[in-house]
Amino acid sequence: MNEEQEDKIPLFKTWTQWYILLTIVLVTLIILFKLFTNYFA
Amino acid sequence: MSRLDWIVLTITLSGIIAYGLYKSRTTRDLDGYFLSNRTMPWYLILLSIMGTQASAVTFLSAPGQAYTDGMRFVQNYFGLPLASILVCIAFVPVFHRLKVYTAYEYLENRFDIKTRTLTSLLFLLQRGVSTGISIYAPAIILSSLLGWNIYWTNIFMGGLLIIYTVSGGAKAVAYTQQLQMVIIFIGMFIAAYMVVHLLPEGVGFIDALRVGGKMGKLNVITSGVEKGTFNWNDRYNIWSGIIGGFFLQLSYFGTDQSQVGRYLTAKSTTESRLGLLMNGLVKVPMQFAILLIGVMVFTFYQFNQAPLFFNDVQVKKVANSDYKDSLRLMQLEYNLLGKEKMLTVSKWVNENKTNADSKESEAKLKLLNQQTEKVRTDFKSLIKKTGIGGDNNDTNYIFLRFVIDYLPKGVIGLLIAVIFLAAWGSIAAALNSLASCTVVDIHKKFIRKDCSEITDYKTSKWYTFAWGVFSIFIAMFATNMGSLIEAVNVLGSLFYGVILGVFLVALYLKHVKGTAVFISAVITELGIILLFWQSSIGFLWLNAIGAIGLFILALILQPFFKGKKEGIRI
Repeated sequence: MNEEQEDKIPLFKTWTQWYILLTIVLVTLIILFKLFTNYFA
Repeated sequence: MSRLDWIVLTITLSGIIAYGLYKSRTTRDLDGYFLSNRTMPWYLILLSIMGTQASAVTFLSAPGQAYTDGMRFVQNYFGLPLASILVCIAFVPVFHRLKVYTAYEYLENRFDIKTRTLTSLLFLLQRGVSTGISIYAPAIILSSLLGWNIYWTNIFMGGLLIIYTVSGGAKAVAYTQQLQMVIIFIGMFIAAYMVVHLLPEGVGFIDALRVGGKMGKLNVITSGVEKGTFNWNDRYNIWSGIIGGFFLQLSYFGTDQSQVGRYLTAKSTTESRLGLLMNGLVKVPMQFAILLIGVMVFTFYQFNQAPLFFNDVQVKKVANSDYKDSLRLMQLEYNLLGKEKMLTVSKWVNENKTNADSKESEAKLKLLNQQTEKVRTDFKSLIKKTGIGGDNNDTNYIFLRFVIDYLPKGVIGLLIAVIFLAAWGSIAAALNSLASCTVVDIHKKFIRKDCSEITDYKTSKWYTFAWGVFSIFIAMFATNMGSLIEAVNVLGSLFYGVILGVFLVALYLKHVKGTAVFISAVITELGIILLFWQSSIGFLWLNAIGAIGLFILALILQPFFKGKKEGIRI
């Protein structure tokens, strides 16, 4: 296995895509949590 | 505990030890003992990372934390997803490329031996102490359950896990963590089901959420703003979670050997990264679910009489003291309030179901909860007043007490086993990492430089054993630390910021050399300890202050050491 193959980004082509995915997941969770907090308060 | 519980507990724990010993076979060198010969796939890395982070403290304290303070603790993990990406980009490839055993080895390549040794020692200090707390956490279960002496329980608890950790090193740790996580998930799922199932007839999950919500326990998102100004002393809010939590998680996953040692066992950089990223995706929902169990337990005790104090040992001590009459009066008042609370909550739920006006019942329920909380606070003051010693905080006992008092035979044994296994997962990883740092960063550098592979392997086993003994020793002094989950995080925050700062300078300030970063680290660490000691600032901020403070200080100091020839640039 050469260094380039060894060093590849998992699942996506760029790290920006990972940033976007995890930011979307986090923001979605925060919004859902906020709605959850407000709904049951 | 019934005979069935003992059978379930014994079979589960001995099964894990046997499995750990069975998976112990590695090559008899440092590569095999500390890195499993770098053969692990990503899903094992994921479970190993999760098993290392989620200790018994997570499963004992988190539901108790939700019971007393609500769910806002989950915000602590909001910085994790983005921190995971940065660890994958900046830290993982460097560690893999240099084929290091410990994270701190990189710092000698980049700076010098003194910077490597300082960060390694800071890690050893904080991880050694927090591992002691991690041993104490499950030990309180046995001691309160069986009336065993806490000190002997610590020794018994720590001794069992040392067997397979010493024998099999990182490989045994990873494989047992895999099995442990599966059993833990099953156990917690059963606990969640049971607590809802035990609610009165006609009261469902949504009703339970409504009760918890109205009583302020579903405060998942909090702003930290009080009376128009931001409260810096507020421990958990969305900003301290995202910013402070980001630095805490970045430091934990990027520079804490107990985690670095897990993903260095992966067969490639990609497998390490995938394990870390998946953990970033699942951690927040997992922590949310554990805290939600605590809210369900809170709701359960609205419909059932809650103990005045969840640690029965302390209640018995007060009952045998000169203050027994005060206790009797408090108990009487608390029970009366409890009975009224049960009637009020049932009335409130019925009113809600029939769409009747429930404002009066709701206000009364809130008032009753405030009154019962006041009686509990008075009792905690009474414990202090009696001078009986021990813990006057019962947060860690809440979930356990519920399990013992209300769950059916067999399930109790399983959940006690879950708490043991969670503890073992994190302690085993910690002992393995403590040993790797001691052997690679200290022993082979300063004590015996040239040893055969087999001697290194045997030395590593002895250090693993020695750290196990040290951690048990520390566990003996962990009795007055309040919420254990906070104690572990507070301790980490005292050191993590500085260690992270050193790594950030190493990775991003290529012109800064060893002496400047070393002096900056010492000054910043002293400043952080002073800040923690002299102020009541929320501990998560210490991570950000430590890392950023060191980063800036190193930049300022570097020009003063410009003439010195030092360091190798990587």
